[in-house]
Amino acid sequence: MVMQISLKKNKMQELPLVKDINLYLDEKPSVYALRQKARQALEKNKYPIKKIEAWKYTNIQPILSSNLKFEKEGHICTNECCHNHEKSSKIEIRFCNGKLHIEEYNLPKGLIIKSLPEVLYEGEYKQYLFNSFDIDKHPFAALNGIYLEQGICIYVEKNTKITDPIEIIYSQNKSNENQIHIHNLIILEKGASIEIYEKSSSNKVNTYLINTINEIYLKPDSCLHHYKKQNDSNNSYHIALNSIKIQSNASYKQYYLSKGAQISRQETAIDLQQSKASAEIYTAYTAQKNCLTDITTNINHLSENTYSNQYAKAILEAQSSAVFQGKIHIAPDAIKTEGHQLHKALYLNENADLNCKPELEIFADDVKCSHGASCGEIDKEQLFYLTSRGISKKDAINLLISAHLQEIISLIPNKDIQEEFSY
Amino acid sequence: MEKPLLEIKHLCARVEDKEIIKDLSLTINAGEVHAIMGPNGAGKSSLSYVLSGKDGYEVTSGSVTFKGKDLLNMPAEERAREGLFLSMQLPTEIPGVVISNFLKQSLNSILKHRGKEELDTISFMKLLRLEANKLNISQEMLKRFVNVGFSGGEKKRFETLQMALLKPDFCILDEIDSGLDIDALKTVSDGVNSLRNTNNSFLVITHYQRLLDHIQPDVVHIFADGHIIKTGDKTLATQLEQNGYADFIKEE
Repeated sequence: MVMQISLKKNKMQELPLVKDINLYLDEKPSVYALRQKARQALEKNKYPIKKIEAWKYTNIQPILSSNLKFEKEGHICTNECCHNHEKSSKIEIRFCNGKLHIEEYNLPKGLIIKSLPEVLYEGEYKQYLFNSFDIDKHPFAALNGIYLEQGICIYVEKNTKITDPIEIIYSQNKSNENQIHIHNLIILEKGASIEIYEKSSSNKVNTYLINTINEIYLKPDSCLHHYKKQNDSNNSYHIALNSIKIQSNASYKQYYLSKGAQISRQETAIDLQQSKASAEIYTAYTAQKNCLTDITTNINHLSENTYSNQYAKAILEAQSSAVFQGKIHIAPDAIKTEGHQLHKALYLNENADLNCKPELEIFADDVKCSHGASCGEIDKEQLFYLTSRGISKKDAINLLISAHLQEIISLIPNKDIQEEFSY
Repeated sequence: MEKPLLEIKHLCARVEDKEIIKDLSLTINAGEVHAIMGPNGAGKSSLSYVLSGKDGYEVTSGSVTFKGKDLLNMPAEERAREGLFLSMQLPTEIPGVVISNFLKQSLNSILKHRGKEELDTISFMKLLRLEANKLNISQEMLKRFVNVGFSGGEKKRFETLQMALLKPDFCILDEIDSGLDIDALKTVSDGVNSLRNTNNSFLVITHYQRLLDHIQPDVVHIFADGHIIKTGDKTLATQLEQNGYADFIKEE
């Protein structure tokens, strides 16, 4: 068995970003098989090129030619990297330069947190891995699978309700040019309710790729608030796939604030599997100069009485690019469903590029759907009002920029996080 | 001794190709209140925008000196910092910008310009609450977005609150009486009157003599077709109220 595998290994193609290295738990055949399966998927499908509709407007060539390393030394973070991390009652899961920082969490009853290697080893939650999406359609998820090692599994037992957000913090503060792959599982049993807050950032202008997957399973009547703040280095690449399966009467709300990374893509794929499942996605993003921000969503209404709403607001700086692709698919059985989508962009300069592609695929009668997109410049009357009160033009523009995003931020139910999201 | 606070000399200005101010000269001394009355479309609001530095209002000739400095060379924010304030006829709604943040930034940029110490949040909020109380502005209102969903009266009271905070030397009140009921008119006028002193001046633009019963002017100008056609004391306003503008315009 081992022989065969190593034979195969020799025949493997050269692929950008894929290094032949031994990972933790490679000796465990089931884990090795998962990684190999992912590798085969990437070899077969290759990286997306512009001809692929889902990646038409997002050129990933800079990522592929970056030749980023994968740091195999140590699969956990044991450094004194978080010395300024004060003990608090909050649950903070930290990944330091892509490696899980091992610490003891003060877990309330009904909440189970395991590292991904534990999941891979014990097998209890393994059924949820690579189960919510088609790996053939997600090349970066396949790349993630090749390096499958880092991640966290959050399991919430039936009817457990936790109000304090569980934070997942990715800090990329090393200067090494690394690729980081993180795979999380979030499973909420019937009637459970939690809040997750992901933060990704760097305190340097360093180059790296952070490639995350969240596989989220919401059982009936469960509720997840998912916050994410992306403030990565302007030289970095941030690729994220959120794949969410929602059962009856369960609800998912995502609040995403994005302002960093040279290339970032936040992809959210949602299956509203059963009646009264609902999903809401609120996005506030700033596409910075010479950066590309990609927001892609795919919402499948698979059952009757399902609801989705998506509202994104964007700031487009000079020489920035943004991609907003939102697809709402309504299956033939999904009657009495509602799906809405709206994107509003504020241009700071004519020299910005926005590709906005709403798609509605409706195969059922008796549904309510809408989509809309608008873009405009800074309002001259508002700018005059502020400057005529002594505020400099620059500060006034900044006030109006944050005001544009404030509409999204003010929707955040958690007041502390709302404040953190405010500029 | 009278010292001129604002001196406008032979000012001509246009918006795009339209001449809106035609050879206007006007001197306002410190401590004076001047009223400008005139028919619709005479260019009264345009004058207020030219003076406060709004984009699109192009001065073609003439000069404006404010406290001895060339006003026309300054961008809008600098005019405000030097002590010019325009209370707008239709204050702009700014969704997403909270009043207290806006006013703090505004006041601090003016204090900084004048070489004074900027206020921290606590002392600013204390001052804001104090001034807001005087104008019957509730604490709840201060948490709202700038002018969003305000009634006509609330908008004008909010403009007056800004004057009270920023303490400008020269205020242009562009139809501060429009959209006000009698009670609100009294609140706003009392607010304005309480700010009057020997160092600051007001230019009150209005259609109605009623406002001038509350804010008593020293000088009244009749403004038509881009310039002043007649100047007098406050009895001129009463005369105007009785006979309308037609007589004065014909006279010219």
